[in-house]
Amino acid sequence: MSAAGTVAGRGLKAAAPYLPPAGDGQGSRGSFLGPRPPAAVEAMARQLRGLDRDLFRQLLKVVVSALQGEDCREATRRLVNSSPLSEAQLGVLVAGMYALLREALRLPASALKPDVFREDLQQLQVPDEFVADFANVVFGSRRPDLDGVAREQGARLPTVEDFRWRVDVAISTSSLARSLQPSILMQLKLSDGKAHRFEVPVAKFQELRYNVALILKEMNDLEKRCILKIQD
Amino acid sequence: MAGELESSKSLSGLLSGLAQSTFHGHPGITEELLRSQLYPEVPPEEFRPFLEKMRGLLKSIASADMDFNQLEAFLTAQTKKQGGITADQAAVISKFWKNHKTKIKESLINQSRWENSLKAMNWRVDLKSQSKHLDQINAPVAIVELELGKSGQESECLCLEFDEVKLNQILKKLTEVEDSINTLTNPA
Repeated sequence: MSAAGTVAGRGLKAAAPYLPPAGDGQGSRGSFLGPRPPAAVEAMARQLRGLDRDLFRQLLKVVVSALQGEDCREATRRLVNSSPLSEAQLGVLVAGMYALLREALRLPASALKPDVFREDLQQLQVPDEFVADFANVVFGSRRPDLDGVAREQGARLPTVEDFRWRVDVAISTSSLARSLQPSILMQLKLSDGKAHRFEVPVAKFQELRYNVALILKEMNDLEKRCILKIQD
Repeated sequence: MAGELESSKSLSGLLSGLAQSTFHGHPGITEELLRSQLYPEVPPEEFRPFLEKMRGLLKSIASADMDFNQLEAFLTAQTKKQGGITADQAAVISKFWKNHKTKIKESLINQSRWENSLKAMNWRVDLKSQSKHLDQINAPVAIVELELGKSGQESECLCLEFDEVKLNQILKKLTEVEDSINTLTNPA
């Protein structure tokens, strides 16, 4: 803690090196991290100086697997046991790297350009070799996977994972000698693990089919109009 | 008395009452209620066999889901039978069945439906714009609410989310279902 305090003091004395002088073209653009980078990122950037590159890469690997939604408690514990750094120091590094990548990955690849990203990290005084490794995560081949995980993690209602159906025709019942009425039995398995089974009378089935087709049409229309697309 | 039991207005009312209690599940319509409201002059011991006869006829007609020709043949046979019905009563029954056939059949089909069934659906199309982990999503998403329940019981709402790909898959399956129903109902 005291170490972090002195580092922070030094950072302040250097008149916030990541903030370019006013009027500069860079300044009007603004960092992808926002006007003031998250504290965790700043703390991490300070600890990076003089860090062993192998250790950095091991840490980065753990952070990326965490971003991919994997459980990396065991890997982190191994790193803590084998590394010369204290648990607190490693904590600062991991938290900052995670926050930095989370912010960078949140922006669509089209909105955050690689050189902008590199410049912003240089402003934070991240050593060049580490900048390249960070950029590899954000702009490399793993990006589509990471985007996919982010989409999964969003707040959402359950979705249908499996849809099964059966058409039944009741031949005869206790109330009707010759019923001969088709009905549909549907089973939906949802992403939250629940399953629902229900019967759909033919009239309701037509309503269901019509509405599903209508929703699709509305979605297509919405995409064509694109009026709500907010892009910079 | 004979005039009472032949009045077509009372008989029509009686048939409606019987349909309510026998097919549509309204327990409040009792024998005593029907007698006091429609045939107050008829003593209960005469009313009961009359009511049972009418109930029996209605059940036979409904259970066979008779079409117009079947009904004519059935009612003609009843008028000729010993202890059967009069031609006027037959006419009232015939008229009643023509007007109530569809509703009664629907009720009878529902009586043999025990699973939850789809009662209604509501939907909405949203445009997802941003989330904690993604700055620009801009994908349309459909929120669909399915109302499921057993008849006469409170129903539950199932809220689901669909993207375009999922909806297309569902629509494809529903088309398969429809083809299957069509082959069943209109055999080539």
